[in-house]
Amino acid sequence: MNDIQSGAPAGAPPDARVHAFDHLRALAMLAGVLFHAGLAYSPLLHPWWPTADRQHAPVVDTLLWLSHLVRMPLFFLVAGYFAALVQQRRGIGGLARQRVRRILLPLLVAWPLVHWGTGAATTWAAGAVEHPAPMLRMIAEWMAMPDAPSLPPTTGHLWFLYYLLLFGVLHWAGRALELGGLLRRWLDRGMLAVALCLPGLLWPGFALAPAPHPAPESLLPQFWAIGVYGPFYALGVALHGRLDALATLRRWLPAGALLCLLAYAIFLLQLEAGLTLANAAWSTALLEAMVAGWGTLGCLACGLRWLAQPRAWLGYLARSAYWSYIVHLPLLFAIQYALMDLEWPWAAKFATAVVTTLALCLLSYEALVRRTPLRRWVG
Amino acid sequence: MKLAMNIPLIRLLVIKDWQLFQKPLAAHVLAGLFALGLLGLARPWAFYLGSLLLIVVLVAGSCFAVSTSLLEERKQQTLAFVMSLPVSPLDFTVAKLAGGLLTFGVPFMVLLLGTVVVILSTPLPDGLLVYSLLIYGHVLLAYCISLAVAMQVQSEGWNIFAMIASNLLVNPLIMLLGQIDAISVPARGEDIVWSLPAVAILSAQLLLSLCTLAFTAWWHGRKAAFY
Amino acid sequence: MMAAFAVSGLCKRYPHFALQEVTLSLTEGEVMGLVGVNGAGKTTLLRLLTGIAAADAGSVEVLGHRLPQAQVTAKREIGFASEDMRLYRSQSLDWHIAMMRRIYPGWDDAYAASLVHRFDLRPQQTLGGYSHGQRVKALLLLCLARRPRLLLLDEPTTGLDPVARAEVLEALADVLRDERRSVLFSSHNSHDVEQLADRIAFLHGGRLIAHADKERFLDDWRRLLCLGSVPPALSSWPELAQVRHAGSQVEVKVRRWSEDLPARLSAAGLSVQRVDPMSLEDIFVTSVRAGGVA
Repeated sequence: MNDIQSGAPAGAPPDARVHAFDHLRALAMLAGVLFHAGLAYSPLLHPWWPTADRQHAPVVDTLLWLSHLVRMPLFFLVAGYFAALVQQRRGIGGLARQRVRRILLPLLVAWPLVHWGTGAATTWAAGAVEHPAPMLRMIAEWMAMPDAPSLPPTTGHLWFLYYLLLFGVLHWAGRALELGGLLRRWLDRGMLAVALCLPGLLWPGFALAPAPHPAPESLLPQFWAIGVYGPFYALGVALHGRLDALATLRRWLPAGALLCLLAYAIFLLQLEAGLTLANAAWSTALLEAMVAGWGTLGCLACGLRWLAQPRAWLGYLARSAYWSYIVHLPLLFAIQYALMDLEWPWAAKFATAVVTTLALCLLSYEALVRRTPLRRWVG
Repeated sequence: MKLAMNIPLIRLLVIKDWQLFQKPLAAHVLAGLFALGLLGLARPWAFYLGSLLLIVVLVAGSCFAVSTSLLEERKQQTLAFVMSLPVSPLDFTVAKLAGGLLTFGVPFMVLLLGTVVVILSTPLPDGLLVYSLLIYGHVLLAYCISLAVAMQVQSEGWNIFAMIASNLLVNPLIMLLGQIDAISVPARGEDIVWSLPAVAILSAQLLLSLCTLAFTAWWHGRKAAFY
Repeated sequence: MMAAFAVSGLCKRYPHFALQEVTLSLTEGEVMGLVGVNGAGKTTLLRLLTGIAAADAGSVEVLGHRLPQAQVTAKREIGFASEDMRLYRSQSLDWHIAMMRRIYPGWDDAYAASLVHRFDLRPQQTLGGYSHGQRVKALLLLCLARRPRLLLLDEPTTGLDPVARAEVLEALADVLRDERRSVLFSSHNSHDVEQLADRIAFLHGGRLIAHADKERFLDDWRRLLCLGSVPPALSSWPELAQVRHAGSQVEVKVRRWSEDLPARLSAAGLSVQRVDPMSLEDIFVTSVRAGGVA
């Protein structure tokens, strides 16, 4: 049995698998920064995004939505895997305590700070930027209204933490109701069967949201987000201790990738009609479900094959990923607002925004988290 | 009254009650989350269905919590086993009250916060908040009364009566709130108005809940033995 | 020797039953069998000895602790199982064992494992799937493996099939080998008591009608078969508990046997044909019928 046949290193210590998952998390975080930075140069999102730049290119949309469909599912799958790992080591009570310390408390502390940071950058930009995005202009007009109604509070980009807490509760409920057997039986049918039925599971969730799906930032649980991300979290939980099951996927990787790209190409064609707030058509939702399901499983299989060995830079990135995830958006917004009036090509602005944001994230991690007690919560 | 308590054992009894109640609690939490999800759909039919489901979950949850923690223990004769452990009546009472606060209080608070979020973050009038809190106040009071009766009275019939009667009184309360202009009129507006009747009713609900729990704790805790 | 328990002038009144003026003690290391019919007051006495119930009058001291005030301390050293006590049906024996382990510092895992094996119990199975006998054995296991100084067992063998009963009695016999461990167990089955106890107490109608060493009981009591007619003065002899006759045959049950009794009976006109020892059950039934003090 070679490396990939065991899903990752055959007979390798469990740590190698933890490395692979850790590295996948680091790369998913990187993809997040790239995604949020790329939104400013997406023609599709130009009317909707506050940092949308005058410079944009269709190629951005071509790449952007693929990462959008895979990145967060991968995060949830990894999160499910680690939740099962913690539960195995420390019990369900230990998992609950860990969720409170590592997710609830950081969410409660970071939420007002991030909200304030993003708001401050946007307020500054609304008054200072000469070539504002349509959305920024709308915000400026709204701010100028004497009795502007207040907007309902949302979780912002920290919705991921909010949903992790929600899935933590569902994890406990599923365990209490002894639903683990269902998951095991699902996996017992083999990974190919899992891969084939995964899009079917995701389909209703995608159909309940617009395409491309927005961030579920409401403080109330959104059925569509539970329907889309819940199966990945559950799959992550189920895969803990059973990564060998992924071995069968190896020979299906090229065909899966091809199908995935084909589905994505059709999805892009359908997106050309423009962005609406209406729910996705069932056909579009199915395409999204196929890309998200198979793309995520493919990334997982690749990660277990090529990312299982410790790598210093990936390890560092993984350790700083949580902090970077929390702080990157206000920083990115501030930088992109500052770049808005410059006459640079979009690629230069994109690169500057990404590099500067990442540098600030890592520098602040180094200064505020890595060697301080904060690493217990967000390190 | 001897105040020395066997804290580790009280903790253990609370954990025990939590573990025994876990399954129905999980079902209630799922139903509660589903109700909040319905509210999150921001459609009128979903709002009515969601709020109805929320009240059902709250009332059913409070009845289940009392039933599992006290009535079942008595009926299944596991109470004798608990009493044989190194606990005093005070320890037992405190464990039951703390366990009740946990098994009922946690989902209650989650649903209460969810309702606050719904009212403040959706187009629903913010003034509805006071009205909703008064209904939650009643559910809390009904739970405290049911818990106190279950600790005092062995008869299953009387316990069921206490649960149903105290919870059903929410209907007259809703009618009463509709009759009081100082509460019903602002409930349709955007301002959160804490009028004197609203403050008085909520204070009475909280005070009565607290007194019921305190009296129960004192009544059972002062006894030297269980029988 | 320290008393495992000592109760004095104990009274406990319920609407339809009263335990009256019970004075009894057990030396540490002894095994006492409490014999009585259903409703005799055995469970009430055991509840008073655990501090679960408080006496209306009298005093209770268990392992040096005054009850019910010091019931928490006392119950740490007591293993109490009663017939009306049930474990949680929705949970497994393992779950119960984990709970006991956290409560009792002296919990003996190895002993618990050996009892699981001996009683042939499935520790992962929920107790809802156990038979009555298995549930009784599980409860007994939870009491024994905490290694209590005083074991209080209320009807431990009631409702058990013969095999389960033998297993339980064997396990109890093992416990009794430890000389520091004291046991009080109640039963309406005097055979079990006869098998295990050093001391016997008879309880009837809420009153203690007799208590003594088992050997003394067995030595003191005799059943005599005589021929002749019953002299009227015989009913006033204090050592005789019961005299019955059928034709010329007379059965005499003696509560204080002495070697000169046959001669005295002969002098009174009764010729003793046979002298037999009595079983504990017979002694108990005779005591109850005789209406009290043995």
